[in-house]
Amino acid sequence: MHTNNNRAVEITLVNQLGYERIAMACSASFAQLFGFPKNRIEDLKTIVSEASINAMQHGNKGRNDAKVKVSLSCVEDIINVQVSDEGSGIEEFPPNPDIENIIEGREPLIGFGLFLIKQLTDRVEFNKMTGKGNMVNMSINMKEQV
Amino acid sequence: MQNKNEITLEKHGAVMLLDIEGDITAFSEPFLNEAYKNANDDDAKRILLKVGDDCYINSGGIAVLIQILAQTKRNNQNIGIAGLSEHFKKIFNMVGITKFASIHNTVEDGLEALSAG
Repeated sequence: MHTNNNRAVEITLVNQLGYERIAMACSASFAQLFGFPKNRIEDLKTIVSEASINAMQHGNKGRNDAKVKVSLSCVEDIINVQVSDEGSGIEEFPPNPDIENIIEGREPLIGFGLFLIKQLTDRVEFNKMTGKGNMVNMSINMKEQV
Repeated sequence: MQNKNEITLEKHGAVMLLDIEGDITAFSEPFLNEAYKNANDDDAKRILLKVGDDCYINSGGIAVLIQILAQTKRNNQNIGIAGLSEHFKKIFNMVGITKFASIHNTVEDGLEALSAG
């Protein structure tokens, strides 16, 4: 992936729920710098939040000493987001949640984070292994793809 | 970093309004469950959840809300949600919450619709 270092930012989060809010705020400011519209900034905040939460809970398994790294870069009118943890990736992807089955107790109440990431990104790659763990790569275009 | 919710219950005719202050995340579960229990203790059949339009709702909060929706369905209650930002209206439609809860722009709209329903 081509990145322009003049249009990039990287933050490291402690592995504690709630700190994803810092990554969300950072991503919103970053997207505003490049003129992204409000609806796409809200989408970006949600995917950054959900990927960070997944990294904390599932990747790092709640370990206090682990870290989550969030990198953002902007190339033309696309923001690329990489969220890294110290885990080994998603072993089994849950199916997209079916709310009717969940409400009726036929399906467990899981999978909403991944579902939102898949719905709101224009491109996503899970289970990209790094030297230190796992990474999810996501891209979001300035204009929402229909 | 655990957030707390302050939830105020107000009876508006046949509708019980649950005014939720704060973000809706997995940490909201005990607060929402207690508020819902209190509404049930008051025999509420029509419930309106009001959230702030700048409220942060994540997948954990969505799961908590769906648990409440499951209970309202079992208890034959009508439930609506008011105050959502346009973004969260889109998200709630994506995950299917709108199949089980009506969405209203304002509390006044929600109270009127649920009172009529």
